[in-house]
Amino acid sequence: MKSPEVKFSKAIALFLGGQVVGLLLGVLIQTALAGVYNGAYFKDIASWLLGVLLALLGFFYGLIGYYGLVKGLVWQVLGTIAGGLLVSAIRFLMGLEPFDLAKFGFTEGGWVAGALIGAIAFLAGVGALTDWFKWAKGEKTFDHHQDPEGFIKYFGVSLDHKVIGIQYTVTSLFLLMVGGLFALIFRLELSQTGLEILSLQMYNSLMSLHGMVMIVSILVGIAGVINYLVPMLIGAQDMAFPRLNAFSFWIAIPAAILLLSSLALGGFDTGWTGYPPLSVRAPLGMSMFFVGIWVAGWSSILGALNLIVTVLRMRAEGMTAFRMPIFVWAATATSIISLTATQMIGLAFQLVLFQRLLGMPFFDAAKGGNPVLFQHLFWFYSHPVVYVFILPGLGVISELLPVFARKPLFGYKWIAMSSLGIALVGFLVWAHHMFSSGMNEYLRVPFMYSTLLVAVPTGVKFFSWVATLWQGRITRELATPMLFVLGGIVVFLLGGLTGPPNATVSTDLHLTDTYFIVGHFHDTMFGGYIFPFFAALYYWFPKATGKRLNEKLGKLHFWLMTPSFFVLTLFMMRVGLLGMRRRIADYDPALSFDPWHLAMTISAYLIALSVLVFIWNIIKTVKGEQNATGNIWKSRSPEWLVPSPMPPHNYDQPLKVVGEPYDYGLEGSKYIEFVNKEEHE
Amino acid sequence: MSGNHNNPSDQLNQGLVIFILLGFLTFVEYMIAIWNQNLLLLSVVATIKAGLVLYYYMHIYKLGNIDEGGSHHSLAWKTTTNRLGFWLFILSDAFLFAGLLTTRFNLLGLTRPHLDQQLGLIVTAVLLISSFFMNRAETQMKAGDTKGFALSTIITLVLGIGFVAGVVGVEWQEAPFGVADSAASGVFFMMTGMHAFHVLTGVIFLGIILRNGMKGVYSAENCWPVEAATVYWHFVDVVWIFFYPALYLIGIMA
Repeated sequence: MKSPEVKFSKAIALFLGGQVVGLLLGVLIQTALAGVYNGAYFKDIASWLLGVLLALLGFFYGLIGYYGLVKGLVWQVLGTIAGGLLVSAIRFLMGLEPFDLAKFGFTEGGWVAGALIGAIAFLAGVGALTDWFKWAKGEKTFDHHQDPEGFIKYFGVSLDHKVIGIQYTVTSLFLLMVGGLFALIFRLELSQTGLEILSLQMYNSLMSLHGMVMIVSILVGIAGVINYLVPMLIGAQDMAFPRLNAFSFWIAIPAAILLLSSLALGGFDTGWTGYPPLSVRAPLGMSMFFVGIWVAGWSSILGALNLIVTVLRMRAEGMTAFRMPIFVWAATATSIISLTATQMIGLAFQLVLFQRLLGMPFFDAAKGGNPVLFQHLFWFYSHPVVYVFILPGLGVISELLPVFARKPLFGYKWIAMSSLGIALVGFLVWAHHMFSSGMNEYLRVPFMYSTLLVAVPTGVKFFSWVATLWQGRITRELATPMLFVLGGIVVFLLGGLTGPPNATVSTDLHLTDTYFIVGHFHDTMFGGYIFPFFAALYYWFPKATGKRLNEKLGKLHFWLMTPSFFVLTLFMMRVGLLGMRRRIADYDPALSFDPWHLAMTISAYLIALSVLVFIWNIIKTVKGEQNATGNIWKSRSPEWLVPSPMPPHNYDQPLKVVGEPYDYGLEGSKYIEFVNKEEHE
Repeated sequence: MSGNHNNPSDQLNQGLVIFILLGFLTFVEYMIAIWNQNLLLLSVVATIKAGLVLYYYMHIYKLGNIDEGGSHHSLAWKTTTNRLGFWLFILSDAFLFAGLLTTRFNLLGLTRPHLDQQLGLIVTAVLLISSFFMNRAETQMKAGDTKGFALSTIITLVLGIGFVAGVVGVEWQEAPFGVADSAASGVFFMMTGMHAFHVLTGVIFLGIILRNGMKGVYSAENCWPVEAATVYWHFVDVVWIFFYPALYLIGIMA
């Protein structure tokens, strides 16, 4: 067994080697396809991204050898080639041109089939399907798997919800940085008028991918927090279906790769929404985008299914519905949306994909199709999904506030019901995205009112937070998680208050497709997801590792990010009100938006810097020694009553709920007690 | 007819009665379509058919048996948990088919594609008969009759393949339109294609439980995979209960 340092140097060397080999390979393939060498091939993004793929492969190979993730990636590449060749063979037999040499080698059908077969091959290679194959063959499998020692367990299939939660979270942070990088690149382009660094096609691709990569990052991030926390919070040993849980995580990896591969395969120019008819005409990258999201949808659906069953079936004794932690309520409400509505975006993307591949004219008005249908199917998922993003975050806020205010959570039942209320009302509001789309006008007013109705349960949450803080015993020295919670409340308030103008038909007709929408959306995402997500990471990091993140760096992170973020979104809304259109690569100098955009770009870079501070903090803390193995936040929640890091099977003794979860500061009150195993049986 | 008969011959009778009722209602449906095209009446009949399958063939009421629990390692607890998870999957999948129906009504309205009515009736009957044998297979397994289970499963499997052959092998080839001709043709191929894909996965599922059942992996008490395959197969039938009128009966020919 080599020391970690040796492995790490080897991994870095293989990373660099992989990048070079991939680039050269890309140039070689292009030369072979075109039949003639061209120096410009060295600047081609496809070759560079092939290099990135090989570099990551080399990096992980150096780190862990031919195991888990590496095996999956190799299988995915082979599966993609096999799928492409299969379609080529079928085309050849049908007398069609088997390859599309002028563009990307395989035809579009070949790439799509390759993408799907590659994703399945990844799962088979990584080992996420092994037990199911055994069941199909009628063989027995073990209930409990032993994970390998050390960090290598995070790179292979593990059935432990804590490992899967961390896998999800790290993947989410990685995607967050990729999506953020895209934003930094095109923000640089926007910092002044004129086109300087990007082509229009590249701008469109990056802008569109920023949206979708961030969305997948958020979906993966909430899945991480939910997976890690919910079984602990309800006193269970694991999720209800551990194998399905591993499958849900691992299928998100090929999905993310497919999504990012769209950049190498011509990109696309529709924005993250992919509206036809534009998406029918977009380059091959569009199909990769659709397939990637379609596959990611399965992660979401199956993860939600698992969560609902876990909450319904695995709760500790005495944990009645209204004694569940508020985060569990939020996670359940979220999962109801993911489980059902995700099918609609899958269908919408599938229909466009079939129109692209086989010419089925679903959205071609000349042949009886209807482009507005896509928007209905798309938004039936894509509006409720913003509640999928924010509900867990709002749950984290409600979960942490009483701990730091040392007071009971105000209006527990109302908070629990408001999560469910937001989720259910969320199903009835989708057409507010379509006020200017040409749908029937009589639909506008009902959708306006249903949208405004969302403000009621959301308002309930704000009242509860304020009332919980009221006369709380908040320490002068605010802990980092509490800072992020308070920041999240303020930012989300801004996001919430800028919502109704978009929901109201008369004002929306002016605001639609402007930067005002962009500002509003980023407010809700930061307030509802990013801030609470970081709060949760700072708060539960000691639970996972036994090490507390550095407070000074945490505060630096917060005080860098928050003011920059306010500059960013407030300026976005300002230029939006003055008529700045969203999604465009350039704007008229006569609008004199240049200084505003420059300020926004600088803020975006400061936010990126703050995230780097966070990453540095994590690396530093992980290397340090265990300094927080006890109940450092003085929480009543069961996971803090056992030592950190969490034992392998969570609770050695079953626990029993005997009181209310958030009665902080009440003398003699108790939430749970552990049952002696012998007495229990 | 209450839900819990334990006597095998009672269960055979129940399965038969439901089968006959479903066949009769399909006939009624067809007659309504010839008579006056009433959308409401057709929806009501389809909903009654789906309700019968959900209750008597898919045993949706078993979701209420949450008490058979005890230890988290007991078979009863695991089966109840698996059942809940599987039904949630069915619910999710139902949204996909609901989306397809929405697409159909949005794009086609009260028109329908030009299809072979006799063939439509034949494949519908084939799927219905397969559902009856699927129900037989499950009850036989739960009564410990492995041989009967195998025979019924084989019949179901063959009928399932026959259904796909009828739709994909005959109807698709016979159709007087191509995939790219119009939105209506696209909808027809997409709906029947997605449904046929589900029938095929069901056939694979049946193949697995058939092989394992004959190997003796399951017993009357321990046969959750058989129940899951049954629920899945009947679900695919429920989808067709709505797709058949939506494609063949509702509206005027375009």
